[in-house]
Amino acid sequence: MQKAKQGFLFAAVAMAALAAGLFFRSSDEHVTTTVQPAPAGVMATALSTTEGGKAKLDDWKGKVLVVNFWATWCAPCRKEIPEFVRMQSRLGGDGLQFIGIAIDEMDKVQAYAREAGINYPLLVGEIDAVEVSRAFGNEMGALPFTVIIDRTGQVVRTELGGTNEARLAPVVEALLKTPAS
Amino acid sequence: MIGPRNRAFLLFAAVLGLADLPATAADLLPAGQAFALAGRLDQGRAVLRYRIADGYYLYRDKLRFTVAPTAALTGKPTLPKGRMKDDEFFGRVEIYRGEVVIRLPVRTPAPTEPIVVTAVSQGCADAGVCYPPQQVSLTLRPGQPETAADSPAPQGRRSLLDALDGKP
Repeated sequence: MQKAKQGFLFAAVAMAALAAGLFFRSSDEHVTTTVQPAPAGVMATALSTTEGGKAKLDDWKGKVLVVNFWATWCAPCRKEIPEFVRMQSRLGGDGLQFIGIAIDEMDKVQAYAREAGINYPLLVGEIDAVEVSRAFGNEMGALPFTVIIDRTGQVVRTELGGTNEARLAPVVEALLKTPAS
Repeated sequence: MIGPRNRAFLLFAAVLGLADLPATAADLLPAGQAFALAGRLDQGRAVLRYRIADGYYLYRDKLRFTVAPTAALTGKPTLPKGRMKDDEFFGRVEIYRGEVVIRLPVRTPAPTEPIVVTAVSQGCADAGVCYPPQQVSLTLRPGQPETAADSPAPQGRRSLLDALDGKP
């Protein structure tokens, strides 16, 4: 009886240890949620658009922004884009604005935008775009990298690596309910 | 009480939980460490060695090499076969993991003069992120041991993207 008890205790502790290990390893270590103002210079950096003009993030002030750094040569970037397109359709009317910033060549971005039916503005850059991404905390310049900015210009979340609608929606939906001051 | 054997198993279970998953994006190495390049000259060849960290890979068809002075390059690079990877978006692509040695046929302008090999590469981490094209240069002198790459050049320049495309 005593032995059976011991065995049960052992099994329970073993499961707890395994679960703890898995939890700490798979938690969102690559997500930063500190609220801080978006770097001023970065919001005013003009980049080329796929429409042939120039644009800066400040142009969308007052909206809830999801700024996604990506490239056509980056497979994990391509994977998440259809979810962004769907979210833009669903929540664009409420004030959500996705902005794609591609570290890439203009012709490739334009072709992929048509192919994937991207329904939000795309800015294209190289060293300048990498610097914008670094200013938001992406030290490695790796892709994909996604930044959520509230209506008042505060960075509320950054994610390095692929993300999806299930992760982004609760955050942006809460921000959409908060009016710009 | 829990016996020594069971204690060992508990430790194993905890370590398994911690270790048996791919690195997360938070643990990312700088590209220069993830894809470390070194090289040496050996009997008319520049022998270039990429040491690719565990959990990272380079695309074989994205590797480009140039040599200064340009006349020092006397032929095409020899790239070993890579492993095939099934990519959801790019289909079957050839990648390198671990260590890869690439040989460039070269002729130094004079027996003691160095040449500079510039390599452009592009790779990703299994954690689900990709690095912009990386450019590194190696100054190789005849008779010198293997030399590590100089600091990486700024990333994302037009010339790097062009180089990956095979544009001059």
